Amino acid sequence: MSLKKIFEEHPERRYIMFGGKGGLGKTTFSAATAYWLASQGKKVLVFSVDPQASLSDIFQKDIFGKGPVKIMDNLWAQEIDADQHIKAYQNEIRQKILDMYGFDAVPDEIEQYIQAASAEPAMEESAIFDAVVDIVIGGEYDYYIYDLVPLGHALYYLSMAKVYDEWINKITKLREEMREYEEMVSRMKREKETEEDQILTELQYIRTRINASSSILTDREKTGFFFVIIPEEMILIDTAKAAELFAKFDVPIMGYVVNRVVPRELLQQNIPAYLKNRIEMQDKYLDQIKTTFGKQVAAHVPELERDVTGLEMIRQLAEIMYGK
Amino acid sequence: MTEEEKKSFWQNMKEVIYGMASHDMSRYALRTRASMEHLFILITMGDMIGVPILPPYYSLRLLPYVVPQISTWKRRLLREKDVSDAMF
Repeated sequence: MSLKKIFEEHPERRYIMFGGKGGLGKTTFSAATAYWLASQGKKVLVFSVDPQASLSDIFQKDIFGKGPVKIMDNLWAQEIDADQHIKAYQNEIRQKILDMYGFDAVPDEIEQYIQAASAEPAMEESAIFDAVVDIVIGGEYDYYIYDLVPLGHALYYLSMAKVYDEWINKITKLREEMREYEEMVSRMKREKETEEDQILTELQYIRTRINASSSILTDREKTGFFFVIIPEEMILIDTAKAAELFAKFDVPIMGYVVNRVVPRELLQQNIPAYLKNRIEMQDKYLDQIKTTFGKQVAAHVPELERDVTGLEMIRQLAEIMYGK
Repeated sequence: MTEEEKKSFWQNMKEVIYGMASHDMSRYALRTRASMEHLFILITMGDMIGVPILPPYYSLRLLPYVVPQISTWKRRLLREKDVSDAMF
């Protein structure tokens, strides 16, 4: 089935993701897909969850940390600045402490903890994860296109939602037990209602945010995941493994896009043996792709004569992928 | 007995009965509650004393609520034996 047809048959799939190993063209395809959807009159946001994002490079516009930036009619792009997000978040926590207790300054011990926590390796991913929740629950775009991080990272990203969820469930349960004891005491002392547990309220808030994000990632109705592959052995082996893992996390896979296919027309010309050999090699793996993924292969994209940067090249690529 | 005296008599009776019947229970419940509070801080803020915990990002959201308890919590964790163990 062609890419165009997939989008036409499933207009309810609003969250589109391109994933695959590094450097295979995830950003390029995200940009081209966003361009095509926007030119069909849909309001589209393409955003990157990669700390080393390259949407700025492909659109040739500095959008890093600037929120959604308008690229053209109906098309917005966004690169999340994790550091900026973490700093704002830390300040929010500090301000809350000052407001709650009327301090002039955050106590040393607490300040040290706030700083140490932000140096944790998982902090950056978590911050991006949280920023993405803000983006997707806004819901004001027709399509959200995730320019994902390379495979290993993406799996980490997906599993994070599950791990968080379990963590939150555990501590919420403990908190609720604590609450029961509190209520018991006030009943015995015949006091009036115990005051609301703010921590419990906060935990419930955290849980809704985590669920919002993970339910979108694994929603078979609204989400579609494309794997980007190229006809080479290592890529195919890795992708097959990753696809299995993704399936475990219930990510709905919508298809495979094969990139960097050397145009077969070249065979009619007088080409060097080097190129001929590459075509032969690709033929072998293209056959393999056909047998393993069959109808799930949504498009073959040729190796272009130049790299894809700037709107004009993105337009040309969109034409190749989705037709005129 | 005037109305006033009657009222305070019942009030006293109530307190005596509470003292006999459920004061111990509620004290015990409060102690359990306090231990759980410390456990809670440990699993959310464990990083503070070098126990790695899962996602520090969201635990920061809880930090403001436990600020007053942090120092007693640390003291309690560092104590080898609780004084109250001997008292009660």
